[in-house]
Amino acid sequence: MIKELDNICNPKTFEGVFKTYAKDLKRFLYFKFGDMEASEDVLQDTFVKLWDNCSNVTFDKVKSYLFTIANNLFLNIKKHEQVVRKHQSTLVHDSTNESPEFLLLEKEFQVKLELAIEGLSEKQREVFLLNRIEKKKYKEIAEQLGISVKAVEKRMHGALLILREKVGKI
Amino acid sequence: MEKNSIHNDNEYFLADWIEGKISAEEFKKYVSEEDFIAYNKLQKGIALYEQLEAPLDHTFEKIQKKIAAKKETKKPKVRNLNLNWAISIAASIVLFIGIYNMIGTNTVLINTTIGEHKSIALLDKSVVFLNSNSEISYDKKRWNKEREVKLKGEAYFKVQKGSTFTVITDMGSVTVLGTQFNVIAKKDYFDVVCYEGKVKVKNNKNSFILTPGKAVRILNGEIKETDKITQQAPTWILGESSFRSVPLKYVIDALEDQYKINFDRKLIDESIIYTGSFSNKNLDIALASVFKATGIKYKKANNKTIVLSK
Repeated sequence: MIKELDNICNPKTFEGVFKTYAKDLKRFLYFKFGDMEASEDVLQDTFVKLWDNCSNVTFDKVKSYLFTIANNLFLNIKKHEQVVRKHQSTLVHDSTNESPEFLLLEKEFQVKLELAIEGLSEKQREVFLLNRIEKKKYKEIAEQLGISVKAVEKRMHGALLILREKVGKI
Repeated sequence: MEKNSIHNDNEYFLADWIEGKISAEEFKKYVSEEDFIAYNKLQKGIALYEQLEAPLDHTFEKIQKKIAAKKETKKPKVRNLNLNWAISIAASIVLFIGIYNMIGTNTVLINTTIGEHKSIALLDKSVVFLNSNSEISYDKKRWNKEREVKLKGEAYFKVQKGSTFTVITDMGSVTVLGTQFNVIAKKDYFDVVCYEGKVKVKNNKNSFILTPGKAVRILNGEIKETDKITQQAPTWILGESSFRSVPLKYVIDALEDQYKINFDRKLIDESIIYTGSFSNKNLDIALASVFKATGIKYKKANNKTIVLSK
């Protein structure tokens, strides 16, 4: 039975792999592309590829397989973009004028922000995540937690003040 | 003062701001210039965080749709293809059997004309480089039982590991397991050089075992062994014919094999021993490198004949 669960061709295992690695992969791709839509596409294609090759990938190799495939798909797209760009006769400005240094700073900023979110008090983080990730209105959160709307707003305000303070130093 | 009064109006303005309930203009009234920039950056960071952390159920649904779509488009096509292949394979098998029965031969013969080189992949992925004016043949059907190649002329063999591989010539045979070696089998000139592995050379009287760098030559019945071959492969592979202590006769023969020319040799001594090489690509350079070194004059009588003199 354990073997069966380790088999990636098993839909449940496949879904489990997706849940374990999809977010990390998306993040990895986003910081390569700087483009959420392209990252989402590659993320989907990576898992389609994994499914196609599910019998050839062992459970303990799946993480490196996913990242390798994602990276290769990324490189293919970039190569294609280069070819397209070469064939465009007119001088088109590069879409990102940001230097690699700037992009790196963005990633650092993001890492710092996430650490800051993790570092919020539990009450603040709860409200912050319910509002930002679960997309719930303050009123809904208030009902869910059994507190007043004002109290929710207070926690949110406090959370943002702390985030501003912690990431503002960059 | 004004700032304070608004601030008091809306104690938790950041909660409204992140929900987009306050315009940028309004927000500026709450915070300093420096804070305004920092908060804008923070807002972008939070927006990105939202996207990165967003639940991926939707993504997983899309993946499953893509997988399902692939299955649907692929399956019938593959089946059709298989059917078509099956028919065409069956048809070609029938055809092949027919042709085999009509011709009744399994011998494959490959030859090169003057100046031509060929590289031939054998059934076991062994490779034969055939020098000019040479010929190899082998039996397709017997190949699985016995790797046997007949050679006339010169060839360089890269043999895949496996059962014994034999090169049969009129003057003797060369037997190996898996290795690289060069064989020259021309009239009364038999020369085998081993580049890799182990090679067994046999004629009707003697047999020799060659290891890398060793060579054996049988010239007019006279046997000579050397062990000073330093090259990794014969030079003719790279477009140059080279010779070590070979009577000039064979060098001139080799020139005739590479270029479409004849030599009038009546006036010269063909038994001079020659060591050196000539280009397979440029006749003028080739003539110069052979005959200037041996002190022989050469003159083109016409397009095809070159007269040699002392």
